[in-house]
Amino acid sequence: MRTADLIELLARDVRAIRPGIVNGRLAAALVAGGLVTLAIVALGLRCQPLLLAAQQPWFWMKAAYTGLLTVWGAVIVRRLSVPGSRAGAAPLVAALIILAMIALAAGQMILAAPGGRLALWLGHTWKVCSPLILLLALPIYAGLIAAMRRLAPTRPVLAGAAAGFLSGALAATLYGLHCPEQAAAFVATWYTLGIAAATVLGALTGGRLLRW
Amino acid sequence: MPQQDETEERLRPLMIRGLEGDSGAHRQLLGTLGRYLRGYFARRLGAGAAEVEDLVQETLLAVHLKRDTYDRSLPFTPWAYALARYKLIDHFRRRKRSIQVPLEDAGALFATEGAEEGALRTDLERLLQRLPDRQRSLLEDVKLQGLSVEEAARKRGVTAVSARVMLHRSLKWLSQALRDENG
Repeated sequence: MRTADLIELLARDVRAIRPGIVNGRLAAALVAGGLVTLAIVALGLRCQPLLLAAQQPWFWMKAAYTGLLTVWGAVIVRRLSVPGSRAGAAPLVAALIILAMIALAAGQMILAAPGGRLALWLGHTWKVCSPLILLLALPIYAGLIAAMRRLAPTRPVLAGAAAGFLSGALAATLYGLHCPEQAAAFVATWYTLGIAAATVLGALTGGRLLRW
Repeated sequence: MPQQDETEERLRPLMIRGLEGDSGAHRQLLGTLGRYLRGYFARRLGAGAAEVEDLVQETLLAVHLKRDTYDRSLPFTPWAYALARYKLIDHFRRRKRSIQVPLEDAGALFATEGAEEGALRTDLERLLQRLPDRQRSLLEDVKLQGLSVEEAARKRGVTAVSARVMLHRSLKWLSQALRDENG
């Protein structure tokens, strides 16, 4: 088939495209994956007593940290899902949020009694925290990848890493409904590691999964 | 870069009108893009390289099928360039050739036109034979006999809506098949 004939054929397949399809697909994927993860948190892990927790500053400290990372992760994923737009300064903003969290954790550690620092840092659940976040990120990651395959990411490894980061950040936010840990140092370390693991997973698999 | 601005001003309205459902504008856009793609790929692959025209077709299919990822408030040429460059990199990767494709200004795509269609290694006609009968006959009515989708739908006794869906699916399938074939 000559190229001119192909173009003729493609011109027959023209219908109006409504704007906003990209955001719609990504949002739908986030909601779908997020609901699966939420169900696992609520039914499998069980939430902590949320009415009590919501009165504590540490609960909101955790939610703000992972929530902000989720927002910036979404910005980066949106940009890397289509041709011609770059992540720009968005990853830098995400890095600054992480640095701010680490600074907060360092401050809390310095003020803490020397004998209590290790307990603050490890809490009761440090061994399971990062692996659980990685696990909880998987449904969200799967949804995002399915959506992004229908879009047009032109840098698959970066786009995969961004999808991993976003799914890790949202998974960590939902995990906060269950996890009763209160120390900034705990969050800065184990939550961040869980999100980082999801990011690495995304970078390793994105190059393969996001081809079109 | 005045020349690129001029290209942008020429192509972006065509793209937007195509997204609004104007098939004439879409046809004109793909025709122009095809010539630029031919020039760009020939420069990167070496003039006369056998795979140039195949890659042009593959990229035009991608432009068509992925056009819903173009944001109407942004310039068009960087979108088209990024897509073309991705297709070139994907081509090298599938060939297991590790060739660095420089990240250039979008103008790189719109530097030279190649008007003459080159030879094809993969004939889409042949790929189409693998489609299920219903889809293939619809596509042939539209392509060979030049029927509109509505006319073809009436002839085959299906609704216009399902004919549209079928045609779109066939093109998606074709795009994938062409990519696999060239890989």
